[in-house]
Amino acid sequence: MDAWWQCEVPYPFVSQDVLNATDSVRASLPNRYCDPKVAADLFEEVIDEFLLCDDLGMNVLAVEHHAGINSLLGANPLLVGILARQTRQVRILSLGTLISLRQDPVRVAEEYATADVISRGRLEIGFVKSGGSEMASNNANPVNNVERYWEAIDLIKKALSHQDGPFSWEGKHFTHRHVNIWPRPWQQPHPRMWSATGDPETAAEVGRRGMVHVLVLRGPEGTKRAYAAHRKARAEAGLPKVTTDNFAYAAFVYVGDTDEEGVRVGSKLLWFLHTSLKSAPQYSRFLPGNSPPQAAPQVYRTVSPAGAAPGAVLSAGQNAARLTSITAEQAMAQGILFVGNPDSVYKQVTEFYDKVGGFGHLSLVGRSGFMTHAESEKSIRLFSKEVLPRLREIKPVTVD
Amino acid sequence: MAHVTGSAVTERLSVGEIELEVLRRGSGRPVLLLHGLQTIDPRARFLDLLSRSAEIIAPSHPGFGRSPRPADFETVYDLVHLYLEVLEALPSEKVALMGLSFGGWLAAEVAVKCRHRIDKLVLVDAFGIKVSDRETPDILDVFNTSPQDVLRRSWHDAGLAPDPNAMSDDELVIRARNWDAACLYGWHPYMYNPQLKRWLRRITAPTLVLWGASDGIVKPSYGRAYSALIPGARFELIEGAGHHPEIEQADAFADVVGRFLDR
Repeated sequence: MDAWWQCEVPYPFVSQDVLNATDSVRASLPNRYCDPKVAADLFEEVIDEFLLCDDLGMNVLAVEHHAGINSLLGANPLLVGILARQTRQVRILSLGTLISLRQDPVRVAEEYATADVISRGRLEIGFVKSGGSEMASNNANPVNNVERYWEAIDLIKKALSHQDGPFSWEGKHFTHRHVNIWPRPWQQPHPRMWSATGDPETAAEVGRRGMVHVLVLRGPEGTKRAYAAHRKARAEAGLPKVTTDNFAYAAFVYVGDTDEEGVRVGSKLLWFLHTSLKSAPQYSRFLPGNSPPQAAPQVYRTVSPAGAAPGAVLSAGQNAARLTSITAEQAMAQGILFVGNPDSVYKQVTEFYDKVGGFGHLSLVGRSGFMTHAESEKSIRLFSKEVLPRLREIKPVTVD
Repeated sequence: MAHVTGSAVTERLSVGEIELEVLRRGSGRPVLLLHGLQTIDPRARFLDLLSRSAEIIAPSHPGFGRSPRPADFETVYDLVHLYLEVLEALPSEKVALMGLSFGGWLAAEVAVKCRHRIDKLVLVDAFGIKVSDRETPDILDVFNTSPQDVLRRSWHDAGLAPDPNAMSDDELVIRARNWDAACLYGWHPYMYNPQLKRWLRRITAPTLVLWGASDGIVKPSYGRAYSALIPGARFELIEGAGHHPEIEQADAFADVVGRFLDR
């Protein structure tokens, strides 16, 4: 198993009074609450943490979110470019430029090819469907978002791998008549591609395409179900079986010297769920295309909707609602928070591994909320030295 | 196949590959009625009033109501050409065309393109053009605004707004279909065609531009500007109504429209 350090660069330094008064901490919270000097300090600390990972041999992961306290990484390609130059040995996963929000996938391909060349072939390219408040922040039509997602991936993949002079793309959502990017990527035919999704239809397509399939904070049932949809779609399409190397899981992870320290400091990560998910109904419940029309009785009526059937795969919105009030104990029980001393964290990861049928990549959401730089670096050191070597012994296997 | 809903008859109308759900009511001069962000409630009082002297033909746009939406049919260009075909499919040589809100945009586009089949045009709190400067939106972004604000700005008396808790499951599913479809067609540029303003001068049918005086979705000043771009158009305000004068002031609405159509 491989591991990837992730920090979304959240901005928690907005007074609780302001957060309580606003209907959304994303998309519409005025940016006067973001002090650029504080933001600069945050970026400096977080980039230093990525560089510490590089020293210690843990891969790094850069995400993208727009216009909110949850993340200052609206311009993911800039961080990817910095990491491409500043790190020297580890792999860099962009998870990712939010491609269904971008007008021109060819430009995205140029950014990725450049980062791959600068890093001399250490880039991995991840795709995330986006949704919610990102649609408002980026003027992106939420109804046909998934169509744009796949068409953009197709175009980026072709732009990265095509070496025979200009080609033309006249798709439904994107047209670009003269595509010929320089430089081409270092890795041939293109860097490995990842996709983050929990919904069964997208999971099936991720499977057919053979992308690395990452589940974020989904817990064992939803994760297992999505991996199964991936495998089933491959089998139905007559494609060869994949190994656990095609599967990834992202959770909050904190390693302390003791269990007490791991739980105490690691609980700070839950700020992300408690505080940074607050989103106005127009960016969530009532976002067009967010749920199928058949779900309208639950969406529109003000009486509380019935809970999803046990074991059902929740929509991203439902998943978010479930997470906002979670306690550390619940988060640990649900497989979204792996915290404790190195032995405990190793045990929690491997137990989760067994529950979902295996995965080859663990993404550590390792710094969030008010966690300090020192606390974050401590966990990076302990994880890299005490946990990662043992996880590396778990080799890819084929699972039916 | 037709079935009766309340006192209105719902039928299907085949136009090319598309089967539209159509609400029909009354007899007399034909009025093609294009709905707005939501489909028309068959129980609406203004239908009763207008249909005393007119045949109301109100299709649900593809993706709205119970009209299917073919794959890749998702632009106003598609809708406009669909309604040009609908006009050709109707037996009467001339019809009155009336559009509400988003449907007003469609009606204006159709009237620009098809002058020979339309003898009267009624635009009610219509979308479709850009009037103000680039930093002043004319049309409230209903998708990115809080539902309470949208409600408050849609109605003179928000107490008259449909209550989701009182709706059946089917009605709510249709409401959600309508919402998704409106977003698909109208997202960008948001609810207008930058080129339409230039061509409104082509409209030859006598035109009534009708506006709820309290409309906070598109303000009456926008309606006046719209009206001024259509040769000979008459602008009228309906007091005590927001974005839906046909619902909030059904009698006054039917009275003004009826007199205009009968002239």
